[in-house]
Amino acid sequence: MDSISEIIEIYKRDIDVTLLDESLRRTPEERLRALEEFEQFREELRIAMQRGQTAE
Amino acid sequence: MTRFGELLRALSISRVEFLVVGGVAAVAHGSVRGTQDLDVLYARDRTNLARIVEALAPLEPYLRGAPAGLPFRLDVPTLEAGLNFTLTTRLGWIDLLGEIAGGGTYETLLPESSVIQAFGVNVRVLRFNALIAAKRAAGRPKDLEAIAELELLRDRHLS
Repeated sequence: MDSISEIIEIYKRDIDVTLLDESLRRTPEERLRALEEFEQFREELRIAMQRGQTAE
Repeated sequence: MTRFGELLRALSISRVEFLVVGGVAAVAHGSVRGTQDLDVLYARDRTNLARIVEALAPLEPYLRGAPAGLPFRLDVPTLEAGLNFTLTTRLGWIDLLGEIAGGGTYETLLPESSVIQAFGVNVRVLRFNALIAAKRAAGRPKDLEAIAELELLRDRHLS
């Protein structure tokens, strides 16, 4: 096994496979919609943080 | 914020020949990692370039990260003159890739793709093995964790 493959195997130990199993229960479209919702959440959070910094 | 569904619909409605690659392809396969841009591998023939222009020109595309005010115009000659374009649009970030790491083009990777139905359109997505191979070929340290996740997903998907 090459060293890159060895590193990848080490990373696998720390991945929460329960999240992967939940994701695999969804359809591809449901997964993409979840990604969009997360992006929206991230954007709202970014704006809220900016407002918070302005208010300080 | 990138509206992935609307971008995919815009490309599909204009009959652009493309494969979804990168982070969004990984999410379609089950990845729980986030991504902020849509990476598409597109066919380089002139007809397809004209379709890309038809789909994206109304979305005010501009070179992402470039200073404002450059005379950038998304048209067929511009696409012919370049290969990979990282763009910002009214619907968010899209990377138009003529080739991906490992030398993959639309034509060579088309057999390595599957069609999924999402957002009311059919979209071609690069399959697990080709996606993993492209990320390995890219050789970026940040991709190693993504490869680990994709390999776990592939194994669980097959079991």
